[in-house]
Amino acid sequence: MTKVFKWGFLIVLALFFVVPLLAMARFAFQSVPVALLTGETWLKGWSIDPIIAASTEPAMWTAARTSALLAVFTIILTLVLLLPLAIVTEIKAPRMRPWLTALTLLPWVVPPIALVVGVSVTFRTGAPWFLASVFSLVPFYALWAMPFTYRALDAGLQAISARTLYEAARSTGASFPTIILRVILPNMKASIVAAAALTTALVLGEFAFASLLLKETLPTFMVNFQQSQARAGLALALIILIFTALAIGIVVRTLRRRGLNVQTTGL
Amino acid sequence: MTLVEMRNIRKYFGESRALTDFSLTVNSGELVCLLGPSGCGKTTALRILAGFERADAGTIEVDSESIGSVPVEKRNFGMVFQDYSLFPNMTARQNIEFGLKSRKVSATQRRTTIDRMLHITDLGDQADKFPHQMSGGQKQRVALARAIATSPRVLLLDEPLSALDAKVRESLREEIRHLQREVGVTTVFVTHDQQEALAIADRVGVMSNGQLEQIATPRELYQNPQNSFVAKFIGTINRIPATSRTDGLWNVLDAILTGSRAGTELEHADGGIRPEDITVSATHQESANAIIEDSSFLGPITRVKLTLNGVTTVYADLLSINATPFIPGQPVFVGVRSDLENTIIF
Amino acid sequence: MRSRQLFSQTNSDTRIGLYVAIPFVLFMGLFLIYPTVAIVGSALSPGESGFSLIGLGNALSGSYRQGFLNSTALAATTALIGGVLGLTLAAIMRSLDRPRWLHSTLDSWSAVASQLGGVPLAFAFIAAIGTQGLLTKLFGQLGIDINDFGISPTGFWGLVVVYLYFQIPLMFLVSLPALNGLRKTWREAAALMGASPTRYWLRVGIPILAPAALGGMLLLFVNSFAAYATAYVLDPGGALVPLQIRFLLQGNVISGEEDLGYAIVTWVIALLLASLFLLTYLQRRTLRWTRS
Repeated sequence: MTKVFKWGFLIVLALFFVVPLLAMARFAFQSVPVALLTGETWLKGWSIDPIIAASTEPAMWTAARTSALLAVFTIILTLVLLLPLAIVTEIKAPRMRPWLTALTLLPWVVPPIALVVGVSVTFRTGAPWFLASVFSLVPFYALWAMPFTYRALDAGLQAISARTLYEAARSTGASFPTIILRVILPNMKASIVAAAALTTALVLGEFAFASLLLKETLPTFMVNFQQSQARAGLALALIILIFTALAIGIVVRTLRRRGLNVQTTGL
Repeated sequence: MTLVEMRNIRKYFGESRALTDFSLTVNSGELVCLLGPSGCGKTTALRILAGFERADAGTIEVDSESIGSVPVEKRNFGMVFQDYSLFPNMTARQNIEFGLKSRKVSATQRRTTIDRMLHITDLGDQADKFPHQMSGGQKQRVALARAIATSPRVLLLDEPLSALDAKVRESLREEIRHLQREVGVTTVFVTHDQQEALAIADRVGVMSNGQLEQIATPRELYQNPQNSFVAKFIGTINRIPATSRTDGLWNVLDAILTGSRAGTELEHADGGIRPEDITVSATHQESANAIIEDSSFLGPITRVKLTLNGVTTVYADLLSINATPFIPGQPVFVGVRSDLENTIIF
Repeated sequence: MRSRQLFSQTNSDTRIGLYVAIPFVLFMGLFLIYPTVAIVGSALSPGESGFSLIGLGNALSGSYRQGFLNSTALAATTALIGGVLGLTLAAIMRSLDRPRWLHSTLDSWSAVASQLGGVPLAFAFIAAIGTQGLLTKLFGQLGIDINDFGISPTGFWGLVVVYLYFQIPLMFLVSLPALNGLRKTWREAAALMGASPTRYWLRVGIPILAPAALGGMLLLFVNSFAAYATAYVLDPGGALVPLQIRFLLQGNVISGEEDLGYAIVTWVIALLLASLFLLTYLQRRTLRWTRS
């Protein structure tokens, strides 16, 4: 591979990643239609009014609050379910670990669009009350994020060699709860943060479940809002996109710097 | 007969000097070890010889022909790496066959060569196994077979035993030596393990800071180190105060010895004495006073730690069958073996 | 005494194991296994009239057959192109030591972009290659109508371009460890044995990378086959499996349409399950070769 090819490839790819975002920003913040865009008009009509329009929309704040709460509850549920399981498996039954790794991949097999169908066969007929609340999304979000969250937690356990830590602490005579609370958990802060950040990013972007179960979250609101106020809708989408990107980016960078290799591919 | 000649090789990595004026001659059929602490440039020297790195200055000749600009593929060298470097997608047999195919050896010839290689490395029953199905020692034997299958002009071994555990290391070490003699291939062996180097090599080159400090047979190196670095790096050596005499000889303990650094101006210096050249006695009054600190039984020998004149720590290796048990704190007399003639002066 | 202690120790271990496993098993059973089994069950007994494979057959006929073909073509195309480009990107980054910042930037960016499927991404591409898009206009000025190449948010190649936005970074992340697992000494050993670089790549490099690369592309396939949000925002009426499922789920006016939905979902689950099995197999093989 020549130097020219390498850099050419990187530059083309960089353009591919950046240009759509720029186009989106232009559409949102410039009131000049594309058809009238010329050398003279391309500096005209820029304003941040669309952001103001979006942020003064009360429904937006309701949807944002819903999404934020969903993220928090999903993180709590995920940690309650997976954290003790991951820890106990690692230190007490390491032979079960491959099974857990495989099991937590299962949500890949039933994607949201398929699971929603299953939900309509089961809960909609059997327990319709369950789907009434917007928070019925929480278990499905926890499930959907599981391939990512479990791997983040497991990476943390591997990085601190939890089993050796446990045995070392045990030899000092510490009790099981003490070891977990005083030794293992404090060392897992980084991977818990990683799991939480990945969950937040997924919940803030999830559309299929919310849309098909007719819940108003940030993404579903965004789609409807964009149909009535195109530019404000795009401005909102851009802001959410930047916010998520920064969140994941910062977390990934801090973790890598700490030497914790968290996979964000869910595999 | 000289086969490999590296002359005045210099190599920089950025600002740091890996090799400064390194020269090495290897005779045909000989096994030369390059020995030194990590970062001394031994691996760099080997990689320059193999052609993976280019020297910044100096010449390399094989069979009196300069190979400085010959690409790696054309050098016809064999190499064994520390990490085995077997191709994981091929069986032992296919790994050995790879080089033969590259060199366009005929199918029947390949078969004979592979079978012979498998036989001499004692791998007959491993032929169709993949690397991940073999133990470390087996993998390294395959790597060895692969490296010599193409009848290389020179065999290069880069710390081939470092990744193995002690027992395997020792037996494979002997096997390499045996194979090398049988095939008669000229070999350069890089290691940081002095025991390994002394056990296996015809000649050992001790390196430090990108230079060859001394190259000699293992015995010569041990008994007549040319400088203090070599003396300290090979085996254990005691530093015992020595005083120079007017006749140019040196007084060390109760002995009068020739010093390797004769003619020095210094009044006070240290003489280097190996632990096995120290004698310890509870009665022999003429020698120096010492106190027993500790003694550890190491099988054939017993190593005794003493304090000489209350300041200098001295180790003495005594044959266990002769050694009377000493008690820590016991006052004794130490001297130098009566037939010792020479010492190295630090 | 000793054996008693050992016994009680094991006992308490089992108890702790059960305490933490039971909620997890219940959760998976209730929210994943139960709905899945219900779908498959309904698909196999259409109209609640006993076991029948008719539903599964219907799901692969007519417009639904086209849906599967379209989705498979889209998933395969983006997996292949995204796979090749992602792998190339990883190979280039491995060969470049500097600049340092590029490595960490690309690393973080890929983690972000590989998760960027969804509504905002669709909006971005509407603004770029939609009828009123910036690029549409830009290329129009140069006399090129990108719609002629099928590049519009509702066209096949348009969707491919949009999906590549998250597929390339995903492939980059998946293939980087495998590329790093290629040892320098393999190449050196091959060269010393007289092998040309071509021979090294054909016999060693590519065979070792192949399982990882195939596994990565399979992951991209699954990822793109199941993607819903982006496709929905760009073209809700598109003939793709996820969109057809939605149509059947929300329409359900004519009786029997629901059954068709269950049958389609059953096919999707079967396809993804098979992919996942193959994927874990390839992954295990990669690890066996590139570890230690």
